[in-house]
Amino acid sequence: MPRSLEDTIAAIATAPGPAGLAVVRVSGAQALGAADVVFRASGRAGRAEAVTLTAADSHTLHHGWAVDAHGARLDEVVAAIFRAPRSYTREDVVEFSCHGGGQSARRVLAALLAAGARLAGPGEFTLRAFVLGRLDLAQAEAVADLIHAETAAAADLALAQLAGELSRRIAALAERVTDALATVEAHVDFAEDVGGVEVPQSVREELREVSAALGALIASGAYARAVRGGVPAAIVGRPNAGKSSLFNALLGEARAIVAPVAGTTRDRVSEAIEIAGVRVMLSDTAGLREIGDAGHAVEGAAGAWAGDAIEAVGMQRAVAALQGAALVLWVVDASSPLAAEDRAVAARVAALPRARVVVALNKADLPARVAAEDVMALVPGARAQAVSALSGAGVEALRGAIAHALGGGDAGDAPALAGAVADPRHAEALARARDAVQRASAAAAQALPGEIVALELREALAAIGEVTGTHIGEDLLDRIFNRFCIGK
Amino acid sequence: MNAQTPADMAAARAARQAQAERREGSWDVVVIGAGHAGCEAAHACARMGLRTALLTVRIEDTAKMSCNPAIGGIAKGHMVREIDALGGVMGRITDLAGIQFKMLNRGRGPAVWSPRAQCDKAQYSAQMLALLDAVPGLEFVAGIANHVRLERGRVAGVELADGRVLGARAVVITPGTFLNGLIHIGPRKLEGGRIGEHAARALSECLAELGLERGRLKTGTPPRLHRDSIDWSALVPAPGDAVPVPFSHWTAVLELEQVLCWATHTNEATHRVIREAMHLSPLYSGEIAGVGPRYCPSLEDKVVKFPERVSHHIFLEPEGRDVDEVYVNGVSTSMPQEVQVAFIHTIRGLERARFIRPGYAVEYDFVLPHQLAPTLEVQKVPGLYLAGQICGTSGYEEAAAQGFIAGVNAALAVQGRAPFVLRRDQAYIGVLIDDLVTKEHREPYRMFTSAAEHRLLLRADNADERLCEIGHELGLVTGDEIAQVRAKLAALDSEAARLARVSVSVPGVGGETRSVRAHDWLARPESTYARLADLGVDLALPPSWRETLEVRLKYRGYIERQQRTASQAAAIDGVMLPPALWDEALNGLSSEAREKLVRWRPATLGQASRITGVSPSDVAVLMVHARRAGKIG
Repeated sequence: MPRSLEDTIAAIATAPGPAGLAVVRVSGAQALGAADVVFRASGRAGRAEAVTLTAADSHTLHHGWAVDAHGARLDEVVAAIFRAPRSYTREDVVEFSCHGGGQSARRVLAALLAAGARLAGPGEFTLRAFVLGRLDLAQAEAVADLIHAETAAAADLALAQLAGELSRRIAALAERVTDALATVEAHVDFAEDVGGVEVPQSVREELREVSAALGALIASGAYARAVRGGVPAAIVGRPNAGKSSLFNALLGEARAIVAPVAGTTRDRVSEAIEIAGVRVMLSDTAGLREIGDAGHAVEGAAGAWAGDAIEAVGMQRAVAALQGAALVLWVVDASSPLAAEDRAVAARVAALPRARVVVALNKADLPARVAAEDVMALVPGARAQAVSALSGAGVEALRGAIAHALGGGDAGDAPALAGAVADPRHAEALARARDAVQRASAAAAQALPGEIVALELREALAAIGEVTGTHIGEDLLDRIFNRFCIGK
Repeated sequence: MNAQTPADMAAARAARQAQAERREGSWDVVVIGAGHAGCEAAHACARMGLRTALLTVRIEDTAKMSCNPAIGGIAKGHMVREIDALGGVMGRITDLAGIQFKMLNRGRGPAVWSPRAQCDKAQYSAQMLALLDAVPGLEFVAGIANHVRLERGRVAGVELADGRVLGARAVVITPGTFLNGLIHIGPRKLEGGRIGEHAARALSECLAELGLERGRLKTGTPPRLHRDSIDWSALVPAPGDAVPVPFSHWTAVLELEQVLCWATHTNEATHRVIREAMHLSPLYSGEIAGVGPRYCPSLEDKVVKFPERVSHHIFLEPEGRDVDEVYVNGVSTSMPQEVQVAFIHTIRGLERARFIRPGYAVEYDFVLPHQLAPTLEVQKVPGLYLAGQICGTSGYEEAAAQGFIAGVNAALAVQGRAPFVLRRDQAYIGVLIDDLVTKEHREPYRMFTSAAEHRLLLRADNADERLCEIGHELGLVTGDEIAQVRAKLAALDSEAARLARVSVSVPGVGGETRSVRAHDWLARPESTYARLADLGVDLALPPSWRETLEVRLKYRGYIERQQRTASQAAAIDGVMLPPALWDEALNGLSSEAREKLVRWRPATLGQASRITGVSPSDVAVLMVHARRAGKIG
């Protein structure tokens, strides 16, 4: 299906590869709105009002942060506003300049897609520029060539991504959905020939399995996406549990220390370290506790803030870091019994829906006063590792536990990566496919008519088709006629 | 009218045939062939004010049902409703000639409720003939078309086998299976479109001379048996609906005594006879080159492809109320007659059945439909239109739908008016024609609901809502008829609005009484409009309109979803591609897409997007070229 010219579209506008900057462009009627969902203007002393891009003038620049749906910071960015018609496409356009290297830009792009934009097809910005009259007739041929060239490049890229195991896994799932659809369609169109059931039990079971398999495929991609995009991680724990020491110990042990990300040190210390090939953005948060203890002091711009405000802001940001974290390292002082504060932290950690949790039973150089089982009971599903930030004992094992929690498995689990969905665009399309299969299952379970189940399955196949570039069509009838005896 | 004896009637028919065999002259439109496509085409042309000739060999064979004695069925019944809503004739005639009516799939989803009617074949022909006779400007001409005459590259008329010439500004060809027809009964071969009739060989040659690429297809028909040779007591009766629902929007009530059909089935003995004689089947000996329809397989196909099935359904359908012929639905075959007799006699109830005619296969030429515009005009030959099996379809309903579209467009072209094309989200007819002109076809095309991506919008119950205004604009739906439809739609809207205001008291989960809006209650799966009366709500709608309101409410969310995707698709379908585009270099397209596009020459960007091998980015590139061409030209 050709793409609509009415959608708001977004894409990374700069070439992939190492670079100082990457630009994410969003264009369309909802461009400013979507950008505002993603953008938080940097606050200045005496200027508490946040700037919104929707209210900003054309051709202005705005410094701030790109954030995800949970409010967690993704990158420091500059947003450039181009209002229609004075823009590249003649629509409203926002361009985010992010840090280079791809990961930041991909995360900002993912946030824009989550905010309602659609991923732009090859050459689509240029196509809009042409359709809306910005390019003249003489340029039309050039536009056509450009679209073709970009498409060819994108196709090569997609092929490379889909080569081998991943494409086989996705194709096998598409095959199963198509088969299920063929059976449903046979019952819709040829009830007299194949029997009067609306959706056979075997199909309903198959749909449950396919949905689970799609879910597993998407989940298997978490590690691969982590490899590509990095993992936001937070160190939490009550004061004096040894968070800072452990943070430094992990950094000290890191073989590949990446330079501190500029601007992230104002309220939490953040460093990127590599664990099992994954770039982990490790944030040492302000102490998670009630107001009154400043915890880890905010550095830098703190001077202009009153004490309570600093604490409040520090707390908020700690909570935001925690919400946005894909991995949480909970540091427990194992040399003293679990305190109420520990349990409060554990409750927050256990409430996180998405994060994987590793518990560091710190101060292992002292006699243990905490049993691992008691800690694990507070945070089900977590891994625990005894460690001494002071002596360095257990730090390597802790890295192993983190690697395991990231999905990398023990000692480099390469096969998992080969068949995994690394591209967030693919993961998003497969998630839509899974949702549609689940709706199909639900419709079948409620005994809704076959055409409704088929409608959902067609949507699932269309979403999978965005990844594989294939379409259903005549093939469906072939399947029906090969399997069922149709016709009086 | 005075009573006529059969002899008087036969004499009148002969006189009329003789007169039609002498008729010559010049017309606006000549329609070749008076089958289901030709009748719709000629009717539409004449009703739109054109002087129309309907050319056929034997006038009495007008609208002959060559195969099964039924109209409608899944997706086909939808198309008949659509033809009717646009002002066509198939639905009206079916209501007049029907002898058993059934709404299929009544207990299933709303997209597949489909009307079907068994018909009296002789009545069907007679009623069609009577209706067409009453249309001013329409005349029958009896004869065989040999050649389409061109002048300055445009259609100018038709040359007949006996030397007469019919002048015409547009010609619609609807030859059914007659185009180079070859009948197979076992090893026996007979030329002809139907058994005992001629084959249009010269006409097929003419199409080749016009530069059209042809292919070959095959279809088949089962044996016909004498009614009194069947043991009816051994069969299972299959009755029609207790309350028959008419096909036509303009038929108020159907008053008829319905006949029964009867069911039986094949068995292992039947299959054994087939297997042992397989070498005698022209299908399996390689004698038949044409490709047959997989959804209407011969019994030999079924036995070979599904060896695990020990039995196949058979329905015995009388070909009329008081006629001798019984159609044996389910055993289409091209075996030698003695094999047919042997296997028929293995079937319960048919042990002593006597044959009126054997089943047979017929091969015929068709024109690869990628050479057609969506108006069904041949792209290379202005003024020449094709419809029905010549375009690669099968089925009376598919033929009628195309006949209607070809006829209307021939008329519009002669009148200098804009062409008429239905979108895929407007009608199954739109899906049919779009599929014909954008896809590759290897077997006869038959409509299924799964061909329509906007299936929930294209229901049999809302064809009037979708299409009557269009039929009225064309001049084929009268003022009285459109007023009737508008009143119905207004009543539905106001009733929906009323039910949104009215509350009803219904039992809650815990047995307590709860108050809910009537339209929310009606949206529940188990609710019906009629049951609103039990809840104290007056029923404002007559029974025949109720199911439309129920469907609107129960499937609202899904219908709205399909409406959204339909409107996105419609935007792309609105971008016209000028024919001159295909003579250009078309930079930026992939080579596969360019090759396909130049072969198909699609009329719109939407059609281009549906051709296999044309990717979304090719469509984007094409849009650039279309805009550029549009601005220059």
